[in-house]
Amino acid sequence: MKLRIEPSPTGDREQLRALLIDAAEQLAGIDSKVLEPKLPWDGQPILVADKDLHPVLISFDLQQSQAALLSGLQGIEQLTAALPWVNQVYDVLQQRQAPPKLAVVSSEFPPGAETVLHDCPNLKIFRCQVLRVNDETGLLLEQLNDTRQADRQITPQLTTARQVNPSPVKALERSSRSEDKLPALSNEEAAYFQQL
Amino acid sequence: MAAHINPVWQRRTASSNRLAKISAGFLSDSPEMKNDKDPCRVIPFLLDNPGQSWITLELGQVLKQRGHDTFQHRIDEPCGDSRNPLRDALDAHPAEGDYCLLSLTSAETVRACRLDHVVLLVPANLDSVRTAYQRIKLLSERNVPEIGVVLVGPRDQHAGWRYFRKLAVGSLRYLDVPLLNLGFLPEQVTPEHGQTNQHRTNFLARISERLLRSEFYSSCTSEKVARGKP
Repeated sequence: MKLRIEPSPTGDREQLRALLIDAAEQLAGIDSKVLEPKLPWDGQPILVADKDLHPVLISFDLQQSQAALLSGLQGIEQLTAALPWVNQVYDVLQQRQAPPKLAVVSSEFPPGAETVLHDCPNLKIFRCQVLRVNDETGLLLEQLNDTRQADRQITPQLTTARQVNPSPVKALERSSRSEDKLPALSNEEAAYFQQL
Repeated sequence: MAAHINPVWQRRTASSNRLAKISAGFLSDSPEMKNDKDPCRVIPFLLDNPGQSWITLELGQVLKQRGHDTFQHRIDEPCGDSRNPLRDALDAHPAEGDYCLLSLTSAETVRACRLDHVVLLVPANLDSVRTAYQRIKLLSERNVPEIGVVLVGPRDQHAGWRYFRKLAVGSLRYLDVPLLNLGFLPEQVTPEHGQTNQHRTNFLARISERLLRSEFYSSCTSEKVARGKP
């Protein structure tokens, strides 16, 4: 089977929204659930709940990365203020009042985002590209600010509107250890840890 | 000689010593220095992988439920020994609380933070036990901290104990480093096997009790507080 991959024009914001909702597990982790596909706030972000029941705000703008970041930050502030209310409205959150997280999606890294990232451990930035693969539209999502080692190991996942493959995220979380230069084991130590 | 046997003299000496101490403290203490006497208790966790951060998050919730004001810090990047990233983090984000649950993914960072206690979260499989041993070996090169171990995901208590024993005996035999068994989280309570449940909370509560009872924490004061700056 031949694969024909080409960039796709991304004029339609609602189509992009639909694709992002399909890719929610890539953005917010496996077992995440969409709470609100279109919040009536600046930038009309998407609200999802991750598996640890944190509300995750997905702010997106392919053309203007800075606008996506700023409206996302504004949204997260609103969300923090309205957390008790949000927990009451969405039963999925089980009244855990877990602090909200933010995912910003754009075609490039927002200028000046390094400073914000330093202060916001719960912020993830994704580079997004809309592609056509054999006449099906999909998203190429790449997280830009994961932990350093994860950044090096991550391979961009292609998510089509019909098919979502959440397993790589989980596999990444499990496998990525810090790149400490661990001391070698002596023969005796290696033999000792050969079996339980 | 008379001064030694005269109770009046004795009382006066004691009293003036006390007064001197009080007065010295009174003159030199700025209001911020009060915090110096009550430093933040940092419980550092060395995660096997970032996916284990649910453990510190939920442990924090358990501690909160038990009336301990708790906040979280996370240092992801491996750091060199030249500066103390924990102090930087606490300076940048001073947070009020009894306990700071600090998540780390690098043994190098544990050394850079000069922590005297660390909890290793070790997945229950032989590869991870070996990696945990190598991390302990790295930590033991200088200023060995007190090391506690929580086994994550064994089938049952016996399996958890076997993995702990393998690691503890190896550490003691080859590195002369004793380990403290802080408990385990069986595979049934891990997020892969379902949402939060009471069972998981019970296991986390046991671990939190052991941590607090054995006073398994590092005391850390931020640079600003230590220097008495506003």
